Amino acid sequence: MAKLNIFVVLLLLLQMSVVHAQQPQPQNQPTIEQLLQEPFLDDYYSNVVHGYEIITNSQKHASRYVGNALNCTTCHLQAGTQKDALPLNVAGMYPKWRAKNGKRNGIGLRIRECFLYSMDGIMPPEDAPEVLAIAAYISYLSQGQVMGVEPEGRGVPTLQDTGYDPNPANGRLVYMEQCASCHGEQGDGSGDVPPVWGLDSYNSGAGMNRIQEAAGFIWANMPLGNGRSLTHQQALDVSAYLNLQLRPADPGQSKFLKLLEDFLN
Amino acid sequence: MISQLLKEATPSFAWWRNPEQWRTELFAGLVGAVLVIPQGITFAYLAGMQPEYGLYCAIFVTLFASVLGTSSMMSGPNTAVAILIGTAVLPLAGRGSPVYVDFVFLLCMMVGLIQLLFWLLRAGRIFQYISPAAISGISAGAGFLIVMTSLDSILGLSTFSTTFFYEKLYVIASDAVDLISPYSLGIGLCTIAAGYLGRRYSPRYFLLIAVCVGYLSGLLVAFIWPQPVTELEYLGRMPLQWLPFNVPTVNREYLMISTKLFPFAMAIAFIGLAQSLVIVRELKMGTDQDINLDKEVYAQGLANFLAPFFSSFAGAGSFNRTKVNQRLGARTPLSGIAASGFVLVLITLLGPVLTYMPMAAMAGTLFIVGADMIKWLDIKHYAQVRSELIIYLATFVSIMFFGLATGVVAAVVLSVSVFMLRISQLELKLEEMPSGTVVRIKGALFFASISQLTEEFHRRVDEDLTVDLQYTTHIDQSAVDFFSREAAQMAVRGKQLVLLVNARQLQFLNSMGLSGQVKLESLQDSVSNEIY
Repeated sequence: MAKLNIFVVLLLLLQMSVVHAQQPQPQNQPTIEQLLQEPFLDDYYSNVVHGYEIITNSQKHASRYVGNALNCTTCHLQAGTQKDALPLNVAGMYPKWRAKNGKRNGIGLRIRECFLYSMDGIMPPEDAPEVLAIAAYISYLSQGQVMGVEPEGRGVPTLQDTGYDPNPANGRLVYMEQCASCHGEQGDGSGDVPPVWGLDSYNSGAGMNRIQEAAGFIWANMPLGNGRSLTHQQALDVSAYLNLQLRPADPGQSKFLKLLEDFLN
Repeated sequence: MISQLLKEATPSFAWWRNPEQWRTELFAGLVGAVLVIPQGITFAYLAGMQPEYGLYCAIFVTLFASVLGTSSMMSGPNTAVAILIGTAVLPLAGRGSPVYVDFVFLLCMMVGLIQLLFWLLRAGRIFQYISPAAISGISAGAGFLIVMTSLDSILGLSTFSTTFFYEKLYVIASDAVDLISPYSLGIGLCTIAAGYLGRRYSPRYFLLIAVCVGYLSGLLVAFIWPQPVTELEYLGRMPLQWLPFNVPTVNREYLMISTKLFPFAMAIAFIGLAQSLVIVRELKMGTDQDINLDKEVYAQGLANFLAPFFSSFAGAGSFNRTKVNQRLGARTPLSGIAASGFVLVLITLLGPVLTYMPMAAMAGTLFIVGADMIKWLDIKHYAQVRSELIIYLATFVSIMFFGLATGVVAAVVLSVSVFMLRISQLELKLEEMPSGTVVRIKGALFFASISQLTEEFHRRVDEDLTVDLQYTTHIDQSAVDFFSREAAQMAVRGKQLVLLVNARQLQFLNSMGLSGQVKLESLQDSVSNEIY
């Protein structure tokens, strides 16, 4: 009996050690601020920093492929670290099938489509340094996430059905009252405030041009610094109003219009 | 010495003095600028850099090399240099990333410094020992590499590298349906076809025709199929500045990296200077330009050293652009200066249009440029002399299989060894005279060539020997020792060694301590004066 007890104790110890080994090690990777201070970075971290620079200032660092006046961080708030504002810690979610293009998307294709639709630009090639840098930054942000499990606060919150159709006329009133002071009555933004329609904004193929998606983003984050102050219905109305405005054509559909636009721009 | 260096280091601006030539020079500069834009963009691609760096190279390297230089040579982005930059830095950092760009700038500064060192050591002369066959072989090999690289973009493959080129062809052929993008293949083929057809009608502007047709076919494709379907690669917007100042990063870690880059920096400095000096020498022989070779070495070195400070990579003289320049009548460095100015103006005007330039069209023109560099006529030309043919083929084949850096080393080693074999070869002429055998020696008599003479001596142990030295260009200590030793051995057998020398050689041999057993006979000075 005593022998058996020892055996059980040993077994428990063994199991504990195995359990201990399996627990994810808390990764203390350097913060972006620390990395920016470093005089010399290895290839991975220099790429991460470059990705961070592209996200925060796409106009300067990814100007080759950007066609409007937006930066990545315009929607991916706080350089892609804010929950419910399309955070970028999603490396574990890819590759996955997306209805948008009807095929399995790696993180690379996902990034390239962002340039094509949201940034209304040119689709970078697979091996473009910009794409690889953003992919590295996404991996960096995804540190500690469980592979294949949705991170907390992924994308934007889905608004529950309010029972009413989105009403652009009401949306216009809300926009003029709450948003126009920063985004302008013509939606053209100013300084750091992004344009929300017009030729310098995202195009009709972008995710933001879907009423549900934009409403979730507006409800959770807008007005900036005072998120969740609008009602669901108000957010949906504003979203519907934005959706009616003129913006660049969807590159997937109206090719002739797109070509004309590109040369006008 | 220092005043001479300072004189070489200051630009001469000799072209200022003949204003009637300016019009021709400016027009030649405009054509040069039009030609260099596609080359700058595609060579930047070869170097693994973003296209704007290639254009900066076309502006600033051309400007500095022409301001400081003395010839109408067009410097700027160069194929072999661009390929070598890519080979050197790609193993160290991801293509086009900020670290990669930093390393390229570091490498180019090293190249410039090495070339300046060449200038200070007056080492420009060593390039005379590089056989023209080797330069042609390197050029042909670079052309082959360009054709292989251009296939990536023409077929719409993402860059992939294989150990040997035929593996790449095999992979492409075996999986053609999945790998090849029909859209970019179509654009590439249109470009190449337009280039070869255009050459019939306009041998000067056919590259321009090719680019335009490629661009239009790209627009046609974009009009019919949307970009999410074609996934075509475009040039994109280039963030161009008029004065792209940049301070290259140099710190302790980068200096560690520079030790890894050093062999490539040597190779680039060498190949850049070799090409530039071949061009300059051709200009010097073919035209009446007042060219100073040392000054050209200095101009190349300083231009490459300053290049990173203006966000561009290293360059060298360009054969094709210099040829066009010469055909248009340019004779002074003003054409190069004008070309760099016109590039600046043209890209500012063309920038928005170039955004939608498909890379397949660029690669198509690159394909034509590369295919032109492999000149089949060259093989016929060099086939007359066996050693030259061997140098040409060995260089070409080793570039095909082992890369440009190895090929450059092979070319240098081969041409130097051919040169050494040639120079250590003595021409011996034997004449039977009543007084004994007369050996007439033509060539340089030094440690490497004595063994040949030794064999001749040992074949005639029982004869009196007379050695005629009047056609000998050089005699060194080991030759003097050899004659003393042989004379001693012959004296044992009762034979006599006579040297026929001129006055200067007489003086020299006596001062070197030739033994008294050698009999010296002085010739009239009238004969020796003809030789020296």
